[in-house]
Amino acid sequence: MRSEGVLRSYLPFAVLAAVLVVFPFVASTNLVNIGVFALIYGLAAIGLSLLMGLAGQVSLGHAAFFAVGAYTNAILITRYQVHGVLAAGAAVVVSMLIALLVGIPLLRLRGHFLALATLGLGIIVSVVVRELDVTGGTSGIFGIPKPEINGRVYDTPQEFFWLMTPVVVIGLLLARNLVRSRTGRALSAVNDSEVAAECLGVNTFALRLRVFILSAGYAGLAGVFYAYWLAVVSPEASGFQLSVKMLLMVVLGGLGTVWGAITGSIMVQGLDEGMRVLIPQLIPGATGEVQLVGFGVVLVLVIILLPGGLAQLAAMVTARLRGRQVERPAAGRSSPLESDGAPAAGGQGGHGEDGEPGSPYLGDVLDSAQIPERGSLVLSVRELTKRYGGVTAVREVNLDVYAGEILALIGPNGAGKTTCFNMISGVLAPTDGTIEVRGRRVEGRRPHVVAALGATRTFQNLQVFGSSTVLGNVAVARHLRSRSGVVRGMLSLARREERDIERIARAAVAAMGLADDADRLVKDLPFGRQRKVEVARALALSPMLLLLDEPMAGLSGPERDGLAALLRRTREAGVAVVLVEHDVDAVMALADRVAVMDEGRLIALGAPSVVRQDPAVIAAYLGTDDEADALLRQAAKEVY
Amino acid sequence: MSDLLQLVFSGLAQGAVYGLIALGFVAIFAVREIVNLAQGEYAALAGLSAISAVTAGVPLLPAVVLVVPMVVMVAVLIERLCIAPIRKMTPLLSIILTLGISTALKAIMLLIWGPQARGLPAFPGRDIVLAGVSIRSQELWILGISAVVGAAVVWAYEHTLLGKAMRACAEQPVAARLVGISPRMATMIAFGVAGFVGAVAGLVGSPIYFSSWDYGLGLGLKGFVAATLGGLVSLRVALFGGLLLGVLENLVAGYIDTGYRDAVAFLVLLLVLLVRPQGLVLKASAARV
Amino acid sequence: MAVLALSGCAESVSPADKGGGGSTEGPIKIGAVLDITGAGASLGVPERQTLEMLAKQVNAAGGINGRQITLLIEDNQSTEDGAARAASKLLQTEKVSILLGASRTGPSLAMRPIAEQAKIPMISLAANEKIVHGSKWVFKSAQNDKVVIENIVDDMAAKGYHNIAIARDASGFGEGIPEMFTDVGKAAKINVVSVEKFAPDATLFTAQMVNVRKAKPDAVVIWGIPPAASLAQVAYRQLGIKAPVYQSHGIGNQVFLDTAGASANGLLASLGRMLVADQLPANDPQNKVVTQFIKDYKAAYGQSPSTFAGHAYDGFTIAVNALKQAGTDPNKLRDAIEGVSNWPGISGVFTMTPEDHSGLTKDALVMVTVDNGKWKLVPAAG
Repeated sequence: MRSEGVLRSYLPFAVLAAVLVVFPFVASTNLVNIGVFALIYGLAAIGLSLLMGLAGQVSLGHAAFFAVGAYTNAILITRYQVHGVLAAGAAVVVSMLIALLVGIPLLRLRGHFLALATLGLGIIVSVVVRELDVTGGTSGIFGIPKPEINGRVYDTPQEFFWLMTPVVVIGLLLARNLVRSRTGRALSAVNDSEVAAECLGVNTFALRLRVFILSAGYAGLAGVFYAYWLAVVSPEASGFQLSVKMLLMVVLGGLGTVWGAITGSIMVQGLDEGMRVLIPQLIPGATGEVQLVGFGVVLVLVIILLPGGLAQLAAMVTARLRGRQVERPAAGRSSPLESDGAPAAGGQGGHGEDGEPGSPYLGDVLDSAQIPERGSLVLSVRELTKRYGGVTAVREVNLDVYAGEILALIGPNGAGKTTCFNMISGVLAPTDGTIEVRGRRVEGRRPHVVAALGATRTFQNLQVFGSSTVLGNVAVARHLRSRSGVVRGMLSLARREERDIERIARAAVAAMGLADDADRLVKDLPFGRQRKVEVARALALSPMLLLLDEPMAGLSGPERDGLAALLRRTREAGVAVVLVEHDVDAVMALADRVAVMDEGRLIALGAPSVVRQDPAVIAAYLGTDDEADALLRQAAKEVY
Repeated sequence: MSDLLQLVFSGLAQGAVYGLIALGFVAIFAVREIVNLAQGEYAALAGLSAISAVTAGVPLLPAVVLVVPMVVMVAVLIERLCIAPIRKMTPLLSIILTLGISTALKAIMLLIWGPQARGLPAFPGRDIVLAGVSIRSQELWILGISAVVGAAVVWAYEHTLLGKAMRACAEQPVAARLVGISPRMATMIAFGVAGFVGAVAGLVGSPIYFSSWDYGLGLGLKGFVAATLGGLVSLRVALFGGLLLGVLENLVAGYIDTGYRDAVAFLVLLLVLLVRPQGLVLKASAARV
Repeated sequence: MAVLALSGCAESVSPADKGGGGSTEGPIKIGAVLDITGAGASLGVPERQTLEMLAKQVNAAGGINGRQITLLIEDNQSTEDGAARAASKLLQTEKVSILLGASRTGPSLAMRPIAEQAKIPMISLAANEKIVHGSKWVFKSAQNDKVVIENIVDDMAAKGYHNIAIARDASGFGEGIPEMFTDVGKAAKINVVSVEKFAPDATLFTAQMVNVRKAKPDAVVIWGIPPAASLAQVAYRQLGIKAPVYQSHGIGNQVFLDTAGASANGLLASLGRMLVADQLPANDPQNKVVTQFIKDYKAAYGQSPSTFAGHAYDGFTIAVNALKQAGTDPNKLRDAIEGVSNWPGISGVFTMTPEDHSGLTKDALVMVTVDNGKWKLVPAAG
């Protein structure tokens, strides 16, 4: 059963390999020549596709890494007579090293700025190779001999095509494996909601950097083949035109699918050659890079009409053939182009059925080894303050939380509860004050640092990973409890770990009573269940401190009872639970202690019965909601 | 000394052209968060069209006056056809889309005008030598026209009701609507303004820097760097950023190596982005929870 | 099954692989890779026109020993990688018998190893001596830059210039030029006091010319091709530099005169005789061939040919003559080209030897100046 699935997952690669091996026999030499370029650029496009589709980062200067690979290879071979395989390896390593060096500062940028910084990088590289003597100035490096392996020289288009075939198929396979691995799952989550992924322990920056480096490696390897095939490397190899071409390949093929990269590169190279022949026939006297008109028009049309690229088209055609209607491309995946990490919208209203989360699963989910002794201090907040310009959203809050208790944080709208959560979980940096999680100072650190200490959270505005299933959402939470990195992911060596992840994720899903929905897309679920998915996801991290932001909102009465019961059992296991909640009655019944905030201050803290009587609390609740709202709005304006 | 002054002066003229392009970036970005990579193509299009008109016998002044509204119309038309249909514009999407537009425009110009670079005839006037600095009359035209156009755009955006409403579109669409400006309308006007400053830049610069099908992208990127100096929202800083960049490039070319002229802008870009990214990326950060 | 397919089809793929067009019947394929677009367009376009015109002439006259010519022209877009790609395509896919091009040095250097690997003769139309240096298979039809420099240095020496500044093309055409001036000018005590570079597609020259002015040279050399060479000339005059300007053989076309305008007046350039054909003495050995070429070219395209068109004429005619003599066997063809002796072409009188694959000496060059948009022959100095 299992091996059958594995077999099937490798079948497309076997088919591709067979097609590529046969192609040079049946195609004309001219066509094979075009094919060689399609494979070379395709290899680079696979890397770029990982970077754009998986890591959500655009690179408008990817030809820079292509050129670094090509030049390194050319220099080592022509100047130092280094063995071909060694030179190729060195070229890939140098490309990746440069990606590491520039990636550390660049990947801290976002959106437009990252895109244009990579573009700037590409231009700087082409200026540098034009100026340096070692790269041969504007003329570049000539006379790179065709590769020779075991006495066989790969000097015809056919031979070279066959030389590249295994490299491209394996490159594609490794990329596909990576997408399906722990790393791929985490990055896909980041694309849906960066903040949620971070709060589940995903170190976004580190993962993106790794994929950036990896994509540079693919580009560098493509550059090696380019240098061999052309026998020349000149500054055009780093040109902006080439970066645009690679971008077009990825976008046309469909972002987020590695298959799209290879399909896209074949299409674009075909388009390139076709336009070169066609346009001068249509428009007499047209000379130069007239194929660009095709590139530009196709790029614009794809973005406007088919943002999911050919992958979307394929999904639509398949669905039509099967007589089903499809509203979303590729098995419900939204195009990463459209995703900006904004919260998924959900329908309002709760569902009344099966409100009884199953208890036997909870033990599997919570890892007792990670949970500190009952009653020990897990969270200590001192003088926590957040100011936005002149507005103080949170003022000098002091709070201790102990293992094995449920603490409720209540207060009117705009009192600063969520802001507190944001600071504790690392989403916001406090203006002042300290936060210690299990004795470690974490204020101002990224959320994944806090998560690594065993503290995670849910969100008031849902932050589910919209493009994946319920189980897929929950599996992301096992990120910190599993190890396999980029290399093991690419080689698909983490089978056992993946089975463990699935087992525990299923247990967490079952614990929240979502077993029947496990394989449904999370965004197809009603609002209340999406909220439960978030709780299941937080539990699956095996946290020792659980921060729940309005977990009961949108749940029906029975569902609320079920959740309360689950939280009690979680407490019995020694986990500390802090929840923000509006339903005061539910809170009073559930919590061991209650903290009340108003206008950014902590105005009361104690047992429910004591807090209920506190005059300050009563005044806060009866009083000035409007003012608080105004404050919040003011604060929000400052942020944006 | 006169060498330094010479380099600075000719840098200022080039920088004024960058500044105008930078204004185009800000004009759009302040209204709708799109970095329009086709900005430089407006300049190339204006230059080439005017050259054709002049070659066909139209006197310089009417040619220039005719070309500007034509480029504005092209800019607006492109916005209607390619930008407006996108419902949810993300940074990635807008970059790829405008890159596609830029590439298509470039290729169309190549098909129409061929690969050769050409220049408009210089505007009337005599070259002068002042304190050892030789000044072309065209350079004075560039500085003068850029100053007038730049001041007009800054004034329109900062002091007229329409301008204020347009800027408000990015942050408070509701407030903007109250003044009678829909975000759709504002985006359209912004592209028109970008087309206008781009066309002016292309026309005044053409006699010295020439116009060709492929020169828009490089020019656009320099303009973008200048705009980045002002965080992509300040029109004034963008204008001065352009001047600064032009001078800096000329100094590097004169005192270090001409080959590195084109790298200067991007080194500046990387430095600016890396030294104060928080100031520039605040809006895109994950603080929206 | 798979093995069968492999061996079955391998035959259809491999036989002609290394052959390179040695067949003895059917049309003869001549390939050309030219800088038709990009920075070298002002060279490549007239070269293409010349080749098309000549191929038509040869075919109309019955072809080469009864075989028609198929001329295949590829645009390298003035890039080295474009040239390599085009050369590979012509040699591997089209199996041309001989390769012409490229228009400029850089792309020609990129093509050289590809032609050598394929063992097919190639005739470059560009200047730099590196293109042919030590090569068995590669020839060229433009004057070596070294002989141009010898010509210019002679003139400088006669006029007593010692300190010179050079503004050179940053691409292959200008590479190594200052070193060569130092080398050739040693005897005449010529020092290179300042070297500036410009990209072939540059439009801004203030920075370079400011530095040239600062060096206070006796004379200035601008070494480039139009439009960059003409824009440099304009910027030079703009800054009011008084020292005389020498330009290279890269400016021999109307584009230069058009873009440089009045700034070109009074410059000195070392060029082939074609531009001043009307001023040549009647007994000049090149007179007949040059006059005929100018007449044909004007009839076909309505304008005077540039020196680059002349390079294309020489390259093509040498190739056709060799094909007539030796057929399409690559080795025999190569030997025939190497055997060219005392053959009057457009750029000079060619004599190839195994050591000299360019075939021209400084006798092929004359000093030319510009006077109100017209080329004028300058009598030899001294």
